Amino acid sequence: MAEKRRAGVAIMSDEQLLSQAGVSALLRGALLRLLECRPEDPVGFLAEHFAHLSSEAEDGASERQSVSRALWHLSLAHHSHRSAFNNNVRVAYELLTQGVPRRLGAGGVRGRLYSEMLRCLCSEGGLSGSTAAPLLRRIQSHDYESVPFELFRQGVLTCAVFADYIRKSQCLYAAVASAPDRPAERTLCQAVLSTLREALETADGADVARYLEASAKISPAKVAQAMAEVQPRAQRHDGLTMDAQEFEDAAAALFIARVRTVS
Amino acid sequence: MSANAVSCTIKSPVALQIGDAVSDSSRPGVYITDITLAEPVNIQEISFKNYYTAYLTVRLQRREDGSAKWVTCLRNYCLMSNPHAEDGSHDYFSIYRHQMLTEPDNVTTVRLILRQPSSEWLNFSIEEINIHPCAKEDSERDVPAWISTLTPVEEPLDLNGLPDPETVSSSIQQMWALTEIMQASQTAASIGRFDVEGSYDVKLLSYT
Repeated sequence: MAEKRRAGVAIMSDEQLLSQAGVSALLRGALLRLLECRPEDPVGFLAEHFAHLSSEAEDGASERQSVSRALWHLSLAHHSHRSAFNNNVRVAYELLTQGVPRRLGAGGVRGRLYSEMLRCLCSEGGLSGSTAAPLLRRIQSHDYESVPFELFRQGVLTCAVFADYIRKSQCLYAAVASAPDRPAERTLCQAVLSTLREALETADGADVARYLEASAKISPAKVAQAMAEVQPRAQRHDGLTMDAQEFEDAAAALFIARVRTVS
Repeated sequence: MSANAVSCTIKSPVALQIGDAVSDSSRPGVYITDITLAEPVNIQEISFKNYYTAYLTVRLQRREDGSAKWVTCLRNYCLMSNPHAEDGSHDYFSIYRHQMLTEPDNVTTVRLILRQPSSEWLNFSIEEINIHPCAKEDSERDVPAWISTLTPVEEPLDLNGLPDPETVSSSIQQMWALTEIMQASQTAASIGRFDVEGSYDVKLLSYT
């Protein structure tokens, strides 16, 4: 690059210029983030990353912006990538606690922001309002309350896992229904849901024993047996069916019953 | 060797002495300890810890058809090879069924006769006496019920018209795993909704 001479301004070399602006650190951070998240659209991801960085540098961001930025961070990693997900949760938490005056021993996310975060997470996960409502009733907080980090992480993880769970229940319904356009037999649906319920209700004990017992209850052989037991009733073609929404609500109820209510 | 011991009442040892126990200054050489059992037991094993007893005789009172009979099941069993020396004086012993002269079945009382002919030792006794019953065939250690259901059903199931069990089972397993993940991440962290400076304030309890 040609050196430019300006009156009274010292000439900087390429390395000095880059290190003074902190550009190399910025680029390194951006590339690491890209590798961690592996999005389908790398250029769009990088654009969003730098846009968020520049807006984070401004002071006095509105709450709306904080929530959307936190949501963007949380969308970067699936909850199964545990360490990346935890990092993103921490970043989101920091974003949401900025600007909150630290009261004595009550640092945390404002309840209103937390509840809004959870609602947006559920809707971004593809959950309808009615499906997510019972879950949110259990885990959201009052507007004036202050949510500590552990609870924040637990709530976010619960919403992410619940979204996956509902998707899986939709796949399960599709598997139980004999044809895509016809609803599934009610007895079959109930048999399938009750095998899941039995596995979830496995008695407390050592974790390993519990997992072994639960997995024995939902092995293909046991599932086949449960379905074959209700088959004579199903084949009578009573016409009793269960539609997809009812199945999804029943499955959701099994999950939500095990979510701890926030207090 | 079964780990469970039958509960029993061990009476304090009674010394057999010639003459008046109070005025006579010589130490007794024979002690008798009775053990009463709450209900008749088939004995598998008697275990105890020795304390300077040289010889042991065991007599059992068996309940047979309404009458109680005393039989000797062990006569002068040697616990210390040399009564004057230390050998075997603090050892643990177990006496099993097959060592006994008679079958120790329906036993209500066990009488232990301890002898120590040596004048070396001030006291002698046996401690930590445990009586182990025979293990019954039907009471095995608890096997979880679900293990017995693991063997596949012999007759092939008629799966006509039913959904594929592999697909259904796989979806159920994933749903179960997701619920477990959620439950495992539950913490005891609380918002402190009902706390007022760390303590409970009744007025803040809500009705929702």
